Amino acid sequence: MSFLKTSQIKSPWLMHFDCGSCNGCDIETLACLTPVYDVERFGIINVGNPRHADVLVVTGTVNPRNAEILKNIYSQMPDPKLVIAVGACGCSGGVFRDAPNVLGGIDKVIPVDVYVPGCPAKPEAIMDAVVTGLGKLKGILEAS
Amino acid sequence: MNLTTFYLAVAGLILAPLVGGLVAGVDRVLTARMQSRMGPPLLQPFYDVGKLWSKVIAPASHWQGLFVRWALVASLASDVLLAAGADVLMCFFVQAASASFVALGAFCGSSPYSKLGAQRELFQLLAYEPVFLVAILCMAKVSGGFDAYSFMASDQPLLYKMPLIVPGLLFVVLVKLRKSPFDISGSHHMHQEVVRGVYTDYAGRDFALLEIAHWADVTVVLWICSFLWATSPLAMVVTAFLFLFAALVIDNISARLTWRHMLKVVAPISLVLATANLLWLYME
Amino acid sequence: MLDAYIGVLVLWPLVAGLACLVLKSPGVRSALVLSTGAALAVGALGVASQVPMTANPGFLSSQTALYIAEGAAFALPIYFLIRGLMEKHVLVIVFAIAQLGLAAMSVFGLAAPAAAKSAVYCDGLSLALVLVVSLVGSLICIFALPYMKHHEEHLHLKVTRQPGFFLILLAFLGFMNGLALSNDLRVFAAFYEATTLCSFLLIGHDKTEESKKSAFRALWMNCMGGVFLHGGIVLIQKQFGMADIHELMNPTLWAGASMLPIALLALAGCVKAAQMPFQSWLLGAMVAPTPVSALLHSSTMVKVGVFVCLRLGPVLESTTTGRVLALVGAFTFFATSALALGQSNAKKILAYSTIANLGLIIACAGIGTPIALAAGVVLLAIHAVTKGLLFLCVGDMEQTVGSRDLEDLRGLISKSPVTALAASAGAMAMILPPLGMLVGKWAALEAAAASPIAMVLIALGSALGVVCWVRFAGTLMSGQSIEAKTTHTSALTSTPILAMLAGAVGLGMAAPWFNALLLPASNIATALAGGWGLLPGLFIVAMLAWIIGMKVLGRQSAATLATPYIGGLPSVLKGTYVGPLGRNWTLTEGNEYASEIFGESKLTKFAGALAGALLLALVGGAII
Repeated sequence: MSFLKTSQIKSPWLMHFDCGSCNGCDIETLACLTPVYDVERFGIINVGNPRHADVLVVTGTVNPRNAEILKNIYSQMPDPKLVIAVGACGCSGGVFRDAPNVLGGIDKVIPVDVYVPGCPAKPEAIMDAVVTGLGKLKGILEAS
Repeated sequence: MNLTTFYLAVAGLILAPLVGGLVAGVDRVLTARMQSRMGPPLLQPFYDVGKLWSKVIAPASHWQGLFVRWALVASLASDVLLAAGADVLMCFFVQAASASFVALGAFCGSSPYSKLGAQRELFQLLAYEPVFLVAILCMAKVSGGFDAYSFMASDQPLLYKMPLIVPGLLFVVLVKLRKSPFDISGSHHMHQEVVRGVYTDYAGRDFALLEIAHWADVTVVLWICSFLWATSPLAMVVTAFLFLFAALVIDNISARLTWRHMLKVVAPISLVLATANLLWLYME
Repeated sequence: MLDAYIGVLVLWPLVAGLACLVLKSPGVRSALVLSTGAALAVGALGVASQVPMTANPGFLSSQTALYIAEGAAFALPIYFLIRGLMEKHVLVIVFAIAQLGLAAMSVFGLAAPAAAKSAVYCDGLSLALVLVVSLVGSLICIFALPYMKHHEEHLHLKVTRQPGFFLILLAFLGFMNGLALSNDLRVFAAFYEATTLCSFLLIGHDKTEESKKSAFRALWMNCMGGVFLHGGIVLIQKQFGMADIHELMNPTLWAGASMLPIALLALAGCVKAAQMPFQSWLLGAMVAPTPVSALLHSSTMVKVGVFVCLRLGPVLESTTTGRVLALVGAFTFFATSALALGQSNAKKILAYSTIANLGLIIACAGIGTPIALAAGVVLLAIHAVTKGLLFLCVGDMEQTVGSRDLEDLRGLISKSPVTALAASAGAMAMILPPLGMLVGKWAALEAAAASPIAMVLIALGSALGVVCWVRFAGTLMSGQSIEAKTTHTSALTSTPILAMLAGAVGLGMAAPWFNALLLPASNIATALAGGWGLLPGLFIVAMLAWIIGMKVLGRQSAATLATPYIGGLPSVLKGTYVGPLGRNWTLTEGNEYASEIFGESKLTKFAGALAGALLLALVGGAII
């Protein structure tokens, strides 16, 4: 693989969006950055701006208000991009799926590449999801 | 211009950004080790730039591409000037032009964060530029010329005659490397100041080029700092590394200041120290 | 032939101005102004082809001319005195009487000085001023044609006052050329007073309360400057009995002599150049119509001040007076750059930056080495073109937008792209290497090696200037403004702007060669080796950057833009975001002017007092 393709897999910059989660999954996501888990080993950096992000990590359920924002953030990310839905709520709406103001999981609004189950999801699982997503990206890049 | 100068200039053009990239890599590994983490591979900054280069995204303004390239050309030109042993003062001005282009491009962007970053970038420029200039003037006074060769020609380290310049130069290094406590207009990597301020609207290829320009800038700044102990090439590298290391330590033990604090307290103090040193050189 | 060129430069504008007054038709007026522009350009280039030169045209060298000059030394102060008495303006009265006293002393109390060997002496410095006046000044006069029409429509005047206005405007150019070329101190002083008169009348042109106040402020300060000038001339007359400026500026003549006359002349220059603490007259001058402020700030009036100081340069080299003058200039450069940074009024930014750059030129004059003086002349010429450009742009913006506040001009690029881009380019020409203004600053810094404090002040001022101009250009080019219609600009407006832009960039690029022309042969080699020799290389780099940039611009300007990042909120309409209640909320932005640090109220008094102390030291040092 060429240097440019390799570098796309070695430098996933991650944007974290809380779509209405109870903050459990968010705490676990941010725990990945601590010395114990140290995601920077994989070149992962937490960025706050979709224009710089490669991976969108979304926690929580989608409702009509934040669906617009989620879509907007997704559209502002440069291609190629990955979306990871974290936690039961993000995957499917979790226990809130039947609430009148909840649309459901992230995939109701934007395409999701990797699902991370759990309530809350474990940091190891989140990191594994990023690596899985990158593997998927690698497949796409190799095919192209 | 003779042939040696030409070779040196070409070497500066190619090597300076590479060195800057390596410095960024060392910076990230060292920072991680200081925080008892593993950290990314040494070449991570190069992967980042490669990744940014292959991203596809619409620009935030029609003008940003232009300003990014101008910034890159200016940064590389300042490296080339230094490598060719030209006038350090002019090299500094060319480097400052690069910073102005970055700010201008950010002003042209559409996001309010970008403009906020641009304003802060300008205030940072205001804070470090005079100190840096005075430091160069001190070096010129001691070595008797404004060109890089005379800075490197003295038998005795310039540091002996200008100890009060060190805090000022350290301040400049912290600002230029976008390190805490002066990462006000956009931070280095994970600590983002208001979603990365001046860089907010730059993305994809433009951002990759801007990162290379930043590496070139870092090389210039550390290079000028290394003139303080320019008795041998090794001594210069060690001096530059010491400045880098000090900046990393400060980055890891300090919290971000506000731009007001920087402009009202830190910049005047370092400028007064530097000026005192300059005056003292004249009194000798 | 030379005499004819000089005649065109000095007399043509006066004649054309009188014709404007007599023939009131606007068509004739436009023709006269345009022809004056052409005539001055021809005259200036004619003189330029023969520099350095001396000449004795009849209208400047005859005895009658000297009588007229001596008569003017009485007539103008008497006119000022009458205006002062009518207005009961104490300061004007006091200084006009003092001027009259000095004039009487010079004519009746002292032996007449030996006449100048030649009535006209033109070197690089004079030529720079002549070119600036003739080219930049003419362009501003042409710009004034549509501007004044619009201006009078705006004021609803029944009877047009343009004939008188253009008389003064054109005459001003003639007086300036005369001042630059004359080699006899008495003739020089007469032209000097004439420029005071012109600026007084032009600032008060609108006849509002405010403009009257500003006009009288300008008058008393410049009368005071006149007193210093005449004082200096009387002392020189007493000390040397000479009036030949060129011969007086010989350092050997002054070895061991009292420097007081020089200090007084320099002080007169500082007043004319609106140096701190006299900056208020130039700031007040902004109430006048834009062509007037453009003329006063860029090509005439204030340039007299720096011209005087640069003229004194050779005498000032490595004297205490020179070192103090360098400090005065450098301090003004620093203080007014800081004041400019704290302003949101676009015209005030320009005014303060003008004063700052004049300060830099005066610092060069105070340093007085050939390299510093050459840098000063380069700065004088390039500053005139660049600042003229910026003033015309701001004037045009003011008429398009109806405000001169930088915040209202935000994102002007989508509304009036030509003007906004020209103004941004002008702002960049003030600060970017390898263009002339920066190169001048750089040369000044390296030449100031003898006075460390001046160097530090110049370094500070330079950083402040960069911030101020980048913010200025950035605000004009700011994206995400409201959807705006592009407005049409008249050819008489855009042509001077574009011509000035070409001049600013072209002259800025020609600076090193221009500089080499100004240096004595012995200095050229070292100066080129020392740094100016770098510039051609930098030009190639700049050209390369330009080509790369334009290619990318061509590619990107066709691209669809990304939606703005506003913390993730979507934006449907430009300049708004979709917020609570699903409504479009307006997004407002503003610059940080840091007025708690750079505000006028904070700095003016303190800096003025310090600058005043420095000026006292200038004169006091010379007395001791």
